Amino acid sequence: MAGFIIRRVISSFLVVVLTSMFVFALFFLGPSNPAGPVCEASGKCTAERLALIEEQMGLNESVVTQYGAFAKGIFVDRTITIGSEYECDAPCLGISYGTRGQVTDELLEKYPATLSIAIGGAMIYLTLGVLLGVLAARWRGTAADRLLVGGSLLVSSVPYYLFALLAWIFLTLQWSIFPATGYTPLTENPGAWFAGLLLPWVVIGVTFSTQYARFTRGSMVETLGEDYIRTATAKGVKSNKVVFKHGLRAAIVPIVTIFGLDFAALLAGTVFTERIFNINGVGWWALNSIQSPQDFPVITATVLVSAVLVVVANLLVDVIYSFLDPRVRMS
Amino acid sequence: MTTADLEQLEHELPPGEPVDKKIAGKSPTRIAFERLRKDKVAVISSAVVLLLILMGLFAPLICSLWGIYPDNSDPASPRPSEVLSFDTFPAIGPPYYPFTWEHPLGLAPRTGYDNLARLLYGIRTSLSVAAAATILSTVIGVSIGLVAGFARGWLDRLISFVIDLFLSFPFLLGALALAPIIISRFSTNLEALSKAQVIALVSVLVVFGWMALARLIRGQVLSLREREFVQAAQVMGVPTRRILFKELLPNLVAPIVVATSLTLPAYVAAEAGLSYLGIGLTGVPSLGQTINDAVNSYAEYPLYLWAPVVTVMVLVLALNLLGDSIRDAFDPKTRR
Repeated sequence: MAGFIIRRVISSFLVVVLTSMFVFALFFLGPSNPAGPVCEASGKCTAERLALIEEQMGLNESVVTQYGAFAKGIFVDRTITIGSEYECDAPCLGISYGTRGQVTDELLEKYPATLSIAIGGAMIYLTLGVLLGVLAARWRGTAADRLLVGGSLLVSSVPYYLFALLAWIFLTLQWSIFPATGYTPLTENPGAWFAGLLLPWVVIGVTFSTQYARFTRGSMVETLGEDYIRTATAKGVKSNKVVFKHGLRAAIVPIVTIFGLDFAALLAGTVFTERIFNINGVGWWALNSIQSPQDFPVITATVLVSAVLVVVANLLVDVIYSFLDPRVRMS
Repeated sequence: MTTADLEQLEHELPPGEPVDKKIAGKSPTRIAFERLRKDKVAVISSAVVLLLILMGLFAPLICSLWGIYPDNSDPASPRPSEVLSFDTFPAIGPPYYPFTWEHPLGLAPRTGYDNLARLLYGIRTSLSVAAAATILSTVIGVSIGLVAGFARGWLDRLISFVIDLFLSFPFLLGALALAPIIISRFSTNLEALSKAQVIALVSVLVVFGWMALARLIRGQVLSLREREFVQAAQVMGVPTRRILFKELLPNLVAPIVVATSLTLPAYVAAEAGLSYLGIGLTGVPSLGQTINDAVNSYAEYPLYLWAPVVTVMVLVLALNLLGDSIRDAFDPKTRR
């Protein structure tokens, strides 16, 4: 068991390190010059000015030195020169070209919005999806089951962002059923926080739940065919108890995997959701930072942090799974 | 014997199938095809897909017959000042004037481009980008999966690690990061920019799209390579390349077809989505880009938004349902 976890941790760490190198290489060795946007932002960009900025940003150093400085910044404070000098406290992910603030601080500022969307949406789609899946499996073959299966196929066949867009247009813009969307910090005004995020939650919840309903249904149908379920029914256990206690407990295991990965993907950046519902979170921030002038440190940071989230979620799912299902440990 | 003769022979003698049987042996592909023809959903959705493909394919022809233009690069196209009132909303057709056959879907606000022409060219762009990305990612995914599954050992471990590495990269943010870099490498002038965007978009889709198929094929090959016919080929000294492509690949047709048919709609959706976000195509007509433009003027001009939204929806839905039917048709579990 310990060996399994250690092996997974090492390989996850390796993935994170390689991703960071890859992202770094993409921006700092890519075809576009990071000094360019900085130079242009400060008015007239002459060749000498560009050379000076390149020099200050350390772009003339070797690749390894540059990456070393970037990686070191994650653990200790460093000073970054972009036009003038900026302090960057550890964990330092750089200084934004646009706002000249520390990327780490801004990231922490934007995260609550994305986190709120992800947690609220996940709560809805998990409960709704599992419940629908269990009910469909229980009344397998009936009209309700067929409606659910067909409906979920239909919903998952249409791109998510179109649903979100149409929901926003109809439900808030045209019919005003839902309050206008946006993000207000929870600590500032809980009511406004809830109202602004209600529609995104519902949209994420409903669209994602169809997928969970299908998975749960499949898993439940398999479980309900097991001998121990028949034994329980034969003993006279109430049908609800058989389905929800005996059946669901075993059937929920595969759902853990999908949930972990989906949730990490949601945390990594709900770009469409934030763009459509006008919520200033990490996805919105990343999207804005690629518009010219491009804000390389911001893109690097968002991609890196999301990759770390996905890797950590993968790791957690594997570890949790190995506790739940002994067969995983053996192989 | 020439290669043509060999091909002829191969055609007459399908490998591994008895020929002199009264009961005709059907290949899995053939069985699947016959089942598809009986599937109502599959027939309807393939008709819709075919119609949309034809619309995209003949977009230039339809436009020139109708006399509409997707942009004003053509000298014969109407100037924006001629068709727009106060340079914003169109002076003919919706939203403020009655329907006209000259421009059935109206004109775009501000630019004066014909919406039907943009739509047809948008379908064309969308399908060609998705098709190119699907073909490329299928070839890459299948080759990598074949090699990983067949090689086992350190090469397999390395490839599996690379697959994990790419899977841990969030697609949207990866696309956000990669697109501007590829574009800035190719863009020297505006003409080249639209080409660069297409290349960037296809590359982004391929870079983040080959892993699932590679993993699937690897798994299949791992079990196939233990079968007798592969061992026989190895004993006979058949070169590895031949074993991979002549012995293993024909056995992988079903998963490849299924994966491909479900990849295509995903790419169509991704293309429109990325263009909607403004990180896809801007130089050529694209459905996602039109959606993005139209959202702002929805209150005054709903048709402008509805046309591309419904088109993307129908296109992705039809392709997905067709893909789903294809999967069922190839699945031995649902075989009656």
